[in-house]
Amino acid sequence: MAALLDPLPLGPAVARNRVVFGPHETNLARRRAVSDRHVAYYRRRAAGGAGVIVVEEAAVHPTDWPYERSPLAADAGPGWAAVAGACHDEGALVLAALGHSGGQGSSAYSQLPLWAPSRVPEVNSREVPKWMEDHEIEAVVTGFELAARDAAAAGCDGVEVNAGQHSLVRQFLSGLTNHRADAWGSDRLRFARQVLEAVRRGAGKRAVVGLRLCCDELAPWAGITRAAGAAIAAQLAPLVDVVTVVQGSIYTIGATRPDGHVEPGFNLALTRIVRDAVAGAAAVVAQGSVVEVAMAEAAVADGTCDAAEMTRAQIADPDLVKKARRGRTVRPCILCNQTCMARDVRNPIVTCVVDPSAGHEHEDPVVGGPRPAPVLGQERGQAPDAPGRVVLAAAAREPLELPLATPSTAMAPAAASGPGDVLVVGGGVAGLEAARVAALLGHRVVLAERAGRLGGMVRTAARGAGRHRLDRAADWLEAEVRRLGVGVRLGEEVAADEVSAFGGRALLCTGSRPGRRTYRVDAGAVVRTAAEALDGAELPAGPLVVWDPIGGPIAISVAERLSAEGRDVSLVTPDLIAGNELGRSGDLAPANVRLQQAGVAIERRMLLRAVTPGAAHLEHRFSGEPRALSAAAVVDAGHRLPDERLWRETGEALPRAGDAVAPRTIYEAILEGRRWALSLPAASRLEASA
Amino acid sequence: MSSRYRHLFTPLRLGPVVVPNRIVFSAHLTNYAEDNRPSAQHVAYYDARAKGGAGLIVTEEHSTHPTDWPYEKLIHGFSPDVIPGYRRITDAVHRHGTPIFAQINHNGGQASSMYSRLPVWAASAVADPLFREVPKEVDRREIAEIVAGYATVAEHCRAGGFDGVELQCSHSSIVRGFLSPAVNVRTDQYGGSLENRARLLLELTAAVRQAIGPDLALGVRLCGDELVEGGTTIDDAVEVARLVEAQGVTDYVNTSIGVATASLFMIEASMQVPPGYALFVPSALRKAIDLPVVGVGRFKDPLQADRALIDGHCDLVGVVRGQIADADFAAKARAGLAEDVRLCLSCNQECVGRMGLNRWLGCIENPRTGREEQPAAAPAAAARKVVVVGGGPAGMQAAVTAARRGHRVVVLEKEDQTGGQARVAALVPSRVEFGDIVRNLRHQCHGAGVEVRTGTTADVEGVLAHQPDAVVVATGAEPARPPWAPPEAGNVVDVRDVLEGRAVPTGRVVVVDEVGFHHATSVAELLADRGCQVTVVTPGMVVGQDLGTTLDLEHWEAKAATRGIEQRTDLVPLGLSAGGLHLLHHPTGTNVEEPCDWVVLAVPPQPLDGLYLDLVAHGGVEVHRAGDCVAPRRAHAAVIEGHRVGEIL
Repeated sequence: MAALLDPLPLGPAVARNRVVFGPHETNLARRRAVSDRHVAYYRRRAAGGAGVIVVEEAAVHPTDWPYERSPLAADAGPGWAAVAGACHDEGALVLAALGHSGGQGSSAYSQLPLWAPSRVPEVNSREVPKWMEDHEIEAVVTGFELAARDAAAAGCDGVEVNAGQHSLVRQFLSGLTNHRADAWGSDRLRFARQVLEAVRRGAGKRAVVGLRLCCDELAPWAGITRAAGAAIAAQLAPLVDVVTVVQGSIYTIGATRPDGHVEPGFNLALTRIVRDAVAGAAAVVAQGSVVEVAMAEAAVADGTCDAAEMTRAQIADPDLVKKARRGRTVRPCILCNQTCMARDVRNPIVTCVVDPSAGHEHEDPVVGGPRPAPVLGQERGQAPDAPGRVVLAAAAREPLELPLATPSTAMAPAAASGPGDVLVVGGGVAGLEAARVAALLGHRVVLAERAGRLGGMVRTAARGAGRHRLDRAADWLEAEVRRLGVGVRLGEEVAADEVSAFGGRALLCTGSRPGRRTYRVDAGAVVRTAAEALDGAELPAGPLVVWDPIGGPIAISVAERLSAEGRDVSLVTPDLIAGNELGRSGDLAPANVRLQQAGVAIERRMLLRAVTPGAAHLEHRFSGEPRALSAAAVVDAGHRLPDERLWRETGEALPRAGDAVAPRTIYEAILEGRRWALSLPAASRLEASA
Repeated sequence: MSSRYRHLFTPLRLGPVVVPNRIVFSAHLTNYAEDNRPSAQHVAYYDARAKGGAGLIVTEEHSTHPTDWPYEKLIHGFSPDVIPGYRRITDAVHRHGTPIFAQINHNGGQASSMYSRLPVWAASAVADPLFREVPKEVDRREIAEIVAGYATVAEHCRAGGFDGVELQCSHSSIVRGFLSPAVNVRTDQYGGSLENRARLLLELTAAVRQAIGPDLALGVRLCGDELVEGGTTIDDAVEVARLVEAQGVTDYVNTSIGVATASLFMIEASMQVPPGYALFVPSALRKAIDLPVVGVGRFKDPLQADRALIDGHCDLVGVVRGQIADADFAAKARAGLAEDVRLCLSCNQECVGRMGLNRWLGCIENPRTGREEQPAAAPAAAARKVVVVGGGPAGMQAAVTAARRGHRVVVLEKEDQTGGQARVAALVPSRVEFGDIVRNLRHQCHGAGVEVRTGTTADVEGVLAHQPDAVVVATGAEPARPPWAPPEAGNVVDVRDVLEGRAVPTGRVVVVDEVGFHHATSVAELLADRGCQVTVVTPGMVVGQDLGTTLDLEHWEAKAATRGIEQRTDLVPLGLSAGGLHLLHHPTGTNVEEPCDWVVLAVPPQPLDGLYLDLVAHGGVEVHRAGDCVAPRRAHAAVIEGHRVGEIL
C-alpha cells in the first residue's frame, strides 16, 4: 500500500512524493508571460517539498485571453524554463498546464469572438460565443501541440491538459455545451482525443502528459454525470500518464474549488469511482479541498487516489511536505478563499490570509524558510519597484536564513518566565503573529491578552455558520507561540506605564470596538453587534433583523446561524444582492442559495433608518419609500472602529497592527503583526545592549 | 478663426499659461499605465487629442503617496521613475502647441489596501460605500506626509515638462474627504467648520505652488454637490472656491459633481441625464470668484459648449467623452465642420464601462481609441469592388474603413433604412442618443463615397451580380425562441417586436431578461409608461446586471421603483401555461407561476450566417464576416470587427 510521501511513477518520470501543487490563477504574470514572480512562488513550494508543481495554465491560442494576466503559451517559454530550473533545483517535477477556455473566456482583452463548440452563452457575462469552424478547431489542436513542444523544450517534465473547469476540451465532451450535428458532435470525445494525441506528439515520449478532467458537471439533464465521467476517463486514460479528477461546469463554477462551506474532500468519492474505471491505465490524482495531510494520507493509503492535489494547503504553508515528513503541524488552510482566488477583474495577486507573503515571495522577506528565489535576470529591470508595497526597514528585507525550528530547538522555556524584551498587547491573530515571528527571530516575547483566551475576533467570527475552520488559524498560531516559548499572560489588562516602558519594542494589537450607528435607536429598542450575537448575547424572542451594510461573510454567517437556531430572520442590505462582496471567494451564489433554503427573508435595496422597540425602520434606496419590519432585535453587522484607548493613554506614538489600526480582516492583521516583528532590531544586539 | 463658435476659440490666460481655445480634455482614467508608469499608449492617446485641436489637456490622476492605490493601473506619481514617461507625453503634446497639465491626487478613503498592502488613509475612520474598508484616520504626522507627497509629485510634474498641475479635490480624493461633512468627523483643527475642513486643501495648494514656482499653472477641482447624505453642496463649494481664490496661489478652478464611489452615475452621466446637467456648479462658482472656471457634464457637440460660454456658465468647457469618440472634435469645430464630429453617444459601454472593470479605455464607435500607437492601415494598393451585405454598425463600419482606403464599396441593406439593431435600440425614448451611432456611420459612409442601397435583399446570386472582388457579410442576427417558448405560442414576442411596433402588449406583461443589458429594462420601461403592469424575471441574481458598468443601473432602479415594475430574480422559465409563465426558482427548487397576458423575450438572438456559409460553399470570391452574424454581441464588437475587415481588404 502506497503512502503519501512515497515516490510516484508518472509515465516516464518519477515524482518524489504524491503531493501536487495544482494549477491555479495567480495574476503573477507580467503581461502574458510566466514571470520572475511565478518563479519565486513555485520555487518556494518546491523548496517546501512539493512532489509535482503544475504551473498556471497557459492559453494555447491567442483567441483565448480569459483574464488579463492569463499566461499565453507563445509568451511562456522563458518563464517555463526559469520555473523548471528553479523547481528542479529543489527536487520537484514541473508540468505546464495548457488550455483554452472556449466559451468560458472573455473577449474583453482579446477583442475577438469567443470560440466554442456551440452557441452557449457564458453564464456570468452572458457573452455568446462563435461556433467553431473546422479550420478553427484544427488551429486550436495545433496550438496544443506547439505549446506542448515549447513546454518540453523549456525543460518542463510534461504538461497537463485542462478538460476541467473553464475549458474548451470539456465543452466538447459535454452535451451541455456541445450541440453540434457534425463529427465533433456525434463523437464528443473526438476533440479531446485529438488534443491529447497532439500534445503527446508535441511533448515527446519523455514527457509526462496529464489530463485535468471534469468527471461530474453537476448538471444531470445534459452534462457529464459521474458514470459518464468515469467512462470518459477510462477512454482517455490510455492517452495520458495521469488524470486529475475535478467537478463543476458552466453553471457550477464555484463547485470546483469551493470555500469551507463545503466539507474538505468532497471529491474523493468521485475520484475513487474514476480510479476504478481507469484501472491503472494512468495515475489518478484527487482534487477538492484536500487541505489536511491526514486526509491526503488516508486517500492514498486506501486506494482512492495515487496522489493528492493540495494547492490551497501549500499556498497557506509552502513547507507542508517538509513539515509532514518531520511530524510538524502545518499552518492550516482555513478554506476561506478570501485572497487565494485571483480570478477577479481587479487582478489581485494570489496570496493567503494566514501567510500574507504567499504570492509576494519576490518582494517579501521570508520567515522561517529558505532565501527568496533569484529573479529572472532579464526581467529584473522591468519589475515595478512599487515603493508602496514594502514598508519594512531595509535590514528586514535581507533574506533571513531561519532554520525551521523543531521542538528540540525551540526557544528556551526560560524566556517565558524571565522579563521579555518585547511586549505584544493583544492576543488576536495580529498579536499572535507578531509574537510568533519575534520569537522566531530570537526575541524574548511577552504576549498579554485581556480575555481568557487567545485568538481575539477570529474566535468570534468562527462561531458564524460555516466558519468554524477560522478557529484553526488561531489554534495554530497559539500552539506555535507556546512552542516558541512566548510568555503568554491571559486575563489581565496591561497598564499604560508598563507598555510605555517598552518604548518602540511594544506593539499594540488591541483590536476593535463597535462602530458608529448610522441610524436612530429609540429607548427600549434592542441592537446588538454581530460580534455580540456571535459570542452568544441573548436576543429577545421574536423576529430578528440582521443589518448588513458590508456584504461580506459575517452578516451571512450570523443570519444563517440565527436561522439554524430556529429564529425568524430577515437580512437587510442596501445592495441588490445579499453578500454582494462574496463574488471573489466563490460564495456569492452558494450563500444566496443557503439563505433562501433556510427561509431567511432578504430585504434588498434598503437602508436602516431607525430601530424602535419591536421594529426596524427601513427606507428603499431608490424610491425613498419607508417600510417597517417587525424586529425583537436588530443585529448590526456594520463596520467597527479601532480600539485606540491604550494607544491614546501611551502618548499616541506606539506602533499598532491589525484592527487597532483599522478593523479589517485576518490578512491585514497577520501582515502587519509580521511586519512589525521583522522590523525589530536584531535580538542579539538588544541582548548585548541590555 | 471660425465665426461659428467664436467663444470657444478665444484664447484664455490661466495664470502663466495661455490656452489657445476653451476646449479642455479634462482628467479621466484610462488604465493605460504599465507597471504604474505612463505608457506608450498614453503618449499616443494624448498626442492624438492635442493634434485634434484640444485647447488644454489634463492628464489622468497621479498618485501622491504609496498608501493611495485604489485601482491596479494608477500612475505612481510619487516614484521618480514616472518622469521619463511624463516627458514623453508632454513632448508629444507640446509639438502641437497644446498646453498639458498633470492631475495629482490621493484618493484617501476611497480605496482599498488590496494593491498597497497598507492601511487606507482618510480624514476619519468612515468606510467608503464602494470599497467598504475601514480607513485609518490620519494623524498630524501623516497629514504632513501627505502634503510633502503632493509637493514631491508636483516637482516630478515640473521635471516632466508639464505646464501646470491640477489638484483633484472633488470626487475621489482625500481632500474631498476632508471637505465633506459626510465623512470628516474629526474634532481637531481639520474637522468641524468649513475653514477647518478646507485646511488640508489650502496646505496642499501652498505646498504645490512652492514646488512648481511661478511658471506653472495651478488648478483645483472642486465638487459642487456630492449627491450623498450629509455631503458637500453648492454653498460649501462656493465658500471653498472663495477661500482658494483668497489664498492667491491658484490660477483656475475646475468643477465636478458627485462622489466617484457613491454617485458616479452623475459624474460620468449616461444618455439618461440631460446634457449640461452640472452647469449650475461652475455658474455658481463663477459668480463668486474671478478665477477662470471650467464647466463639465456631457458636452457632446461644439454648439452646446459654445453656448455654455456665451451664457456665462463657465470660462472653459471640459469635453472628455466627446474627444474620446472623436480626437478631432476641436479641429472639426474650428474648421466649421461640426457635422463631421463623431458624436459621443454617452452610452458609457467601452469608456466608463471598461474603467470599472480594470480594462483599458476604448470607445464603442471609435475603433482607434486606445490603439492610437498602432499604425492605421495603409491605403489599398489597388481599388477593389467590395460588397457589404448588411447596413448595421458592422457593415457600415466595414464600408467606411474600406472606402477610406480607396475601395469601391456598396452596402446592401434589406430594411428601408440602415442602422440594424442600433437603430431599434434607440427607439426607446430614454435611449434615443444611441441612435447617434447610426447618424455618425451614415454620415461617414456618405463622406467616404459608399453607395448604400436600402430595401435590397441579397442572396448568393444577388451578391455575385455586383461582380465583387470581396464580400463582407454583416447580416446580423434575428430574434430566437428558446425551447420553452415555441414559435407557435401566442402573445410571446421579442423585445424587437415591441420596439418596432409589430407587437403591442397590454395588461400584465412578463419580460424575461437573459441578456442582462438594456434590452429587458428599456422595453419594461416603455411598456410601464404605456400602462402595462410589468414584471421582469431573470435567471440571474440581478435584472439588467451590466447596467451597473455603464452607470445606468441607478436610473433603471429609480424608474422601476417609481413605475411599480417588479423585479424577480433566480427564476428559470420552464414553459407557458394558459394564464402565464411557469418558472423554476432555482435556489429552492420551487415552481412559480407568473400570471400574465404577454411574454416579452430578451434572449440571445440567432446569428444570420446563412449567406456567409452559402458564399463560402459557392467559392470563387473572397468572403469575410463581421458582427452579430459571427456571434451576437454588442455594438462595439460589430464596429471593431467591421473596421478590422475594412483594414485587411
